[in-house]
Amino acid sequence: MAAEIPGPTMRGPILPGTDLGLDGPRPDDPAGSTTPARRHLTRRRLYLRRFLRNRGAVVGLVVLGLLVLFALFGSLFTPFDYTDVDFTALTAPPSPEHLFGTNGTGNDTFAQAVHGLQRSLIIAVTVSLLTTTIAAVVGAAAAYLGGRVEKLTLGFIHFLLVVPSFLILALVSQKAGGDWRVLIVVLTVFGWMLSARVVWSLSTSLREREFVQAARFMGVRPFQVVLRHLVPNIGSLLIVSFTLGVVATVMAETGLSFVGFGVQLPDVSLGTMLSDGANTIYSAPWLFYFPAGLLTLLTVSMALIGDGLRDALDPTSRSGGRVSARRAARDLESGGMA
Amino acid sequence: MLRYLVRKCTGWLLMIVAATNLTYFLANAFLDPRANYLQLRPPRSPEQISRSLAQYNLSPDTPLLERWWSWVTGIVLRWDWGASPIGDSVNDQISFRILVSAQLVIGALILTTAIGIGLAVYTASRQYRFADRFHQGLSIITLNIPIVVAGLAVVLLAILLNQSLGTTLLFVAGAQSPGVTGFWPLLVDRVQHLVLPTIALVITGYAGTHLLQRALLLDNINSDFVRMARAKGLTRRQAIRRHGLRTSLIPVATSIAFAIPALFTGAVLTETIFAWEGMGRYFIQTISKNDVHGAVAVAAFGALMTAIGAILADVAVVALDPRVRVS
Repeated sequence: MAAEIPGPTMRGPILPGTDLGLDGPRPDDPAGSTTPARRHLTRRRLYLRRFLRNRGAVVGLVVLGLLVLFALFGSLFTPFDYTDVDFTALTAPPSPEHLFGTNGTGNDTFAQAVHGLQRSLIIAVTVSLLTTTIAAVVGAAAAYLGGRVEKLTLGFIHFLLVVPSFLILALVSQKAGGDWRVLIVVLTVFGWMLSARVVWSLSTSLREREFVQAARFMGVRPFQVVLRHLVPNIGSLLIVSFTLGVVATVMAETGLSFVGFGVQLPDVSLGTMLSDGANTIYSAPWLFYFPAGLLTLLTVSMALIGDGLRDALDPTSRSGGRVSARRAARDLESGGMA
Repeated sequence: MLRYLVRKCTGWLLMIVAATNLTYFLANAFLDPRANYLQLRPPRSPEQISRSLAQYNLSPDTPLLERWWSWVTGIVLRWDWGASPIGDSVNDQISFRILVSAQLVIGALILTTAIGIGLAVYTASRQYRFADRFHQGLSIITLNIPIVVAGLAVVLLAILLNQSLGTTLLFVAGAQSPGVTGFWPLLVDRVQHLVLPTIALVITGYAGTHLLQRALLLDNINSDFVRMARAKGLTRRQAIRRHGLRTSLIPVATSIAFAIPALFTGAVLTETIFAWEGMGRYFIQTISKNDVHGAVAVAAFGALMTAIGAILADVAVVALDPRVRVS
């Protein structure tokens, strides 16, 4: 059996998030896909098929794709910039000239929505990438090193969970005057603990496994073991926690911006647009409809994708066909990771 | 059990003390109470400002450690959490705001839990049928609606409702109207104010409980002991409720207990939207008004809520799971 299984450890580290999980993290085995008689699936095809079976996840992916296109190319559809002021149209309802209407100072809501969506997306994706990376390395390292390091790390994580992070977020980002880069740093610093704890609890069982022990006794440096052997084995969890992290960050960012502690004028995010819309919700409801709609589409589509990925990457999932025996064995070997 | 609880409480108390002190120093680093006096007319000199602040133990001329020491001794000896830069007592503010927030949060917590668990039992016993799939999809959507969007949408709908009725049935701002007296009028008035924010919190909150409870219940619903209960003659519904649900309630109880502090944070946004003068609003006001002592008190309150949630989670596990013995 040991010879059969080269071990799930022989792959390079996955950068969480760079790969949405549609690609198998391992190089494809050509033998597996060229035997049509038994319908062996490569890992990539299996994941793809499982993901596509989930209708909600596909809808989510399409919606997210449209949102990203809107954020990237939306500015082509309007002559206005998000800072431009049109004094001839203050608080004007949607019209052919201003597709989403204008706000009280005459800013074009469409241009603001494009910019705000960009801001919210950049912040959310960056923060989620960073927190997932930190959580993976810290959690796995704590589990692998054990002893005093582990105790200290866990104590630190628990402490950060008790510290009212929303308050500290507000303190720091208010002082920074609404710079979105500072917001990224602050959201990262207080966002990694929970998933680090999950990674730690999964890694504690991984560290006892033969391939990790083998690497340890071969004299591989601890940092190398963590990066090459522990982190790749919880890759599927990290991918899922990346997508859900995006949702959580979007909510935190818009919440902070809404109460005035996140992104601040003259910069615009979906949260600041919502706080604009909140004051005129009855007299100028379009200022609420468009940012609220975009924001909800973003969070819900991302959550649907995360849900589909969790099903697709779950090694215990029985949906969407079987993997070849060898892959199944490898799956068993890395079982229970998703 | 008692010894276990005492040990746990001591640990959490230490955490709270550490977190509160950390926030004290952070708040001093990031908030500048002098800013509150800068816009005053006639303008004050820096010395005058420092002297005004000194009476509230906020003067930047006093060394930080010295201020910290008198702040700590004030709390330990007199339970005095200090004053805002314009002299309002933090104790007074917090004591009535906790009650305002509690009305909102406790009602919402009970409703989200009841709806979530009820819906989970209903859908889990109809796995993969239409009702199950429908509620599953609905829950994923509502769970991910940002609270700001949900709150504002509720406000908009309520305004439209009030207009079509021609009278104000549901209030969109505040916790109660001024000038209402008498027990029953007051109660009705409170409820009229409470309905909308509670709806907003419940819409975004119930789905978490529903999805978690459904998944756990499905793990148990086909297990031997539920089948055994059926074999003894219980109906399917009784078997699920008495045997399946009880075992799968344990992790849900834990997660609900831990959701209490999150609910108070979620209430920050809800209270802002509905203009409730609770802890959440206070939190925002303290920060925007450079109220160091108020902000620290809010932080201490948040840490206390986390600790209470964690201890409740432990107690719930012991109460629900006869296998767990604490020494």
